[in-house]
Amino acid sequence: MARRDDVLGVTGADTVIGAGVLVEGTLRSEGDVSIDGTLTGDVTATGDVTIGVNGHIKGGIYGLNVTIAGELDGNIHAQGETTIRETGRVNGDITAAGLAIVSGGQFTGRSLMSRQSELDLAPAADQEP
Amino acid sequence: MYYYIVNPAAGRSQTKNVQEKIRARLDELGIRGEWVKTTGPGEASKMAAAAAAKGHTTVVAVGGDDTVNEVINGLTAHDNVAIGIIPLGSANRLATQLGIVDWRQACEVLAARRLTPYCLIAAGQKFFLSTLTLGFETDLDKNVDTTETGWKARAGQLRAGWGHARNFRTLRCRINVDDQYKLECDVFSLSIANQKFLNPLADNRLIVALSDHPGHSLQLGSYLWRTLGSRVAGSKTSNEPAGLLEETATTRFLAHRVVIETDPVTGIMVDGKVAGRTPIAIRLTDRRVRFITEKVVADFKGAVGPKIKS
Repeated sequence: MARRDDVLGVTGADTVIGAGVLVEGTLRSEGDVSIDGTLTGDVTATGDVTIGVNGHIKGGIYGLNVTIAGELDGNIHAQGETTIRETGRVNGDITAAGLAIVSGGQFTGRSLMSRQSELDLAPAADQEP
Repeated sequence: MYYYIVNPAAGRSQTKNVQEKIRARLDELGIRGEWVKTTGPGEASKMAAAAAAKGHTTVVAVGGDDTVNEVINGLTAHDNVAIGIIPLGSANRLATQLGIVDWRQACEVLAARRLTPYCLIAAGQKFFLSTLTLGFETDLDKNVDTTETGWKARAGQLRAGWGHARNFRTLRCRINVDDQYKLECDVFSLSIANQKFLNPLADNRLIVALSDHPGHSLQLGSYLWRTLGSRVAGSKTSNEPAGLLEETATTRFLAHRVVIETDPVTGIMVDGKVAGRTPIAIRLTDRRVRFITEKVVADFKGAVGPKIKS
């Protein structure tokens, strides 16, 4: 069972997916998202997206600020900052206004730094990302 | 004009003792109205519908959660009718959630007539306002009498609840969320409510909260204490969101429609009453009811789930 402190930023997040939960499909949120489970599909949020230590996503992430402490196989499109924590692993491209990799974090892919205004918005609900 | 539907059997028939006092107080407040009594289950729905058809604009359920839910289901086609509550039942969760704790305060609330509209939730063919549960909380309600109050009663409830909690087997649950994604997990307890019912500032959306089995005895004890406390009107926890709809849920999300399957099949409860079994589709409807509530926006301390952007 996920402890609350295993999921970064769980308090106050609009959507919280706990450890041991399997999700398939596109998860959309009008707020913040915290994932400590396994998601096959994309995450599209107007708020911040956090992948916890136990979290694993196979798909893309579209959000405001993105923090990875778990594992991501897919691309990140962040309007703000992307942070890969010491336990985080990203295998994909990152497009963000800023990127920080904490010592221990792993990143395999390309990074594109863009001003916030130049970044595409998260895909609309009726469009495929 | 106010129309009072009274369940004489509510609250172990305590309505008999206070009816005249309530009517006297309503008279003082200038909201006496028509006073009718039900004679069996299901009657409150029919009476509410008939009252609306006759042109009454306020229907008051005098009883517990069962009576209120029947009145709600009788008025789903009449969104111009306001619903009030005078809580006299054994279980008064709806009233408690709306900030109404006893009949005296309820009379004042009715006179003040603060209206808050809520969208109803449909579970199968039935509509409800408050909370649907499945899993341990449903098992708890079926097996532990939570109507008694006091420290001695609570200790007994904890003892009985503890045994059930330790032996409760989690359900394998599959949830289809808005036909956009599917979620699969082991569930100890699951609750669904309209988030606006928990936070008047929020939009009408389903908030789904679930958890797997609390691993530690301390967590289990804490969870059990809060769950039992939420059943008791006037207790410290009774005005807080019940069970998982606060931040102790390990998984929480918003939706308009969910379809829930469980293995094994299990019963679901709405406001403490068995209301069906899985698999079940639960959706937020566009049918609105206007409730006369105690809570005002300024009294609400914070959102459950979504942050409210100012």
